[in-house]
Amino acid sequence: MAFHRLDLGHGLGLRTKHFAQFESGPSPVDWVEVVTENFMAEGGRPIAVLESVRRDTPVVLHGVSLSIGSTDPLSERYLDDLARLVARIQPAMVTDHLCWGTWQGRYVHDLLPLPYTEEALVHVAARVAAVQERLGRQVLLENPSTYLAYRGSTMSEWEFLAELAARADCGILLDVNNVYVSAHNLGFDPLEYLDGIPPDRVGQLHLAGHSDKGKYLLDTHDAPVSEPVWELYRETLRRLGRVPTLIEWDDRIPPLPELVAESRRAASIEAEELTPALRRAAP
Amino acid sequence: MTLAETQAWLYQAITSGERPTPEDLELCLADGPALSAREGVAVYASMYLARLIDALREAFPNLARFLGEETFAALAEDYLGRHPSEHHDIGRAGRLLPAFLRKHPDPERPDLADLAELEWTRQQVFFAAAAPQLGTEAFARLDPEELARSRLLLSPALQILRLDHAVAPLWRHLEHGEPPDSPLVVSSPLAIWRRGAEVFHCPLPLDEVAALERAASGGSLAQICEAFAEREDPSAAAHGAIASWMAEGWVTGLERSPAPTDLASPD
Repeated sequence: MAFHRLDLGHGLGLRTKHFAQFESGPSPVDWVEVVTENFMAEGGRPIAVLESVRRDTPVVLHGVSLSIGSTDPLSERYLDDLARLVARIQPAMVTDHLCWGTWQGRYVHDLLPLPYTEEALVHVAARVAAVQERLGRQVLLENPSTYLAYRGSTMSEWEFLAELAARADCGILLDVNNVYVSAHNLGFDPLEYLDGIPPDRVGQLHLAGHSDKGKYLLDTHDAPVSEPVWELYRETLRRLGRVPTLIEWDDRIPPLPELVAESRRAASIEAEELTPALRRAAP
Repeated sequence: MTLAETQAWLYQAITSGERPTPEDLELCLADGPALSAREGVAVYASMYLARLIDALREAFPNLARFLGEETFAALAEDYLGRHPSEHHDIGRAGRLLPAFLRKHPDPERPDLADLAELEWTRQQVFFAAAAPQLGTEAFARLDPEELARSRLLLSPALQILRLDHAVAPLWRHLEHGEPPDSPLVVSSPLAIWRRGAEVFHCPLPLDEVAALERAASGGSLAQICEAFAEREDPSAAAHGAIASWMAEGWVTGLERSPAPTDLASPD
């Protein structure tokens, strides 16, 4: 059982607002990520743009509706659409979230956290294996941002994620902002989280902005990455080394150059943190 | 609680609009340093509705403009209470909203269901499969008899709607921020289609609708042309209509039918 981390560099979410710029010139970043469900339709501009972009730029499919932790059966309709899109786009990675979002066929369209128990672990590991079997490839699961804690949880989220990756032989998409948001809301140490994540299973990092709601932090993806999250990104790189990193920005989306600047900031932090110590020490 | 029981309870707590009891909260969730268990559930409940209302507003922008933010949100909440999303694409959550508006019409604006139907169809057309446009040279390759037996294949990105109200002007006024007209009851068929990445709609005469419906159900070119029989010059009307279909990209193929003699048994 093994997971191979790709060396993709630094990417951005490809959003409707920037379609024209991606169509009219070379990609300003190393790779792009799209929200899988927004590109499952047979036709229309989104899929046409994505097919054009993917000719020169690696694409990652990032789903929000797999509902891998639900006790509903896996949706055959969803898996059919996903398999069709994967065959059409040939993405560099297929990712979704460690969460559940359906109940009796009804979609909440949210990333609800799981209770971290042995029962849930067995359940989710079997479903990840089934999805990977269906797609013929590994998937990566992302830690969600969380606003509640289950009384019945018997392990931490990082212990659950590490054990799931080992049992299901899948990858981890580590969202650094989500670690920060959940740590604030639930009161755990984000560094302890990072220490518990197996480096050889992490295939991608996410960075995003959040909103301070006073009593809690909300993962809104509508602002620049905050300074504490940049600091946590440094800590992450020290533990994991070079990992493909994406800037997520989904609401109140700024002009493309502003997003590219965020991505370049991530690249320069990576260069600072991973440059060999001797060269950094030179006068 | 088992995983299934936990999910059943939390789903209801988030989507029902009812406050969970303290006993249930105590059984399932723990208070956190930032949020109590009740506040945590409330965060998810508020995001559930807000996200779906946003998706409906995106699918029905002119209906939302007409109703205003508050009334549209109330309509959306009522609708979602009876028709929760059952598709992985949140963009399809409004699939049953036109039918919902027909079942629960606004007595003063019975045309809103038709407006919703038009907006929903425009969205379906936007995401329909692409198909190559047929050039007129395909017609020149067939002799007149073969041509009369042939069938037209229509674009998946073309839909015909038969509505009871003239909602195209209402849609246009709302799109341009102009005050809407009063509802006008009139049989109003519309063609809705995509060219490139843009969606268009226009009213159609009833005989042209009949011709398109014959084409869609596999009628021959001769049968399609017969739909224009009541016109002063049926042949010119049929020719003009089919030429415009071709120019708009509505026709994507020409399927040849074998001559009656070709169907004879070899023995």
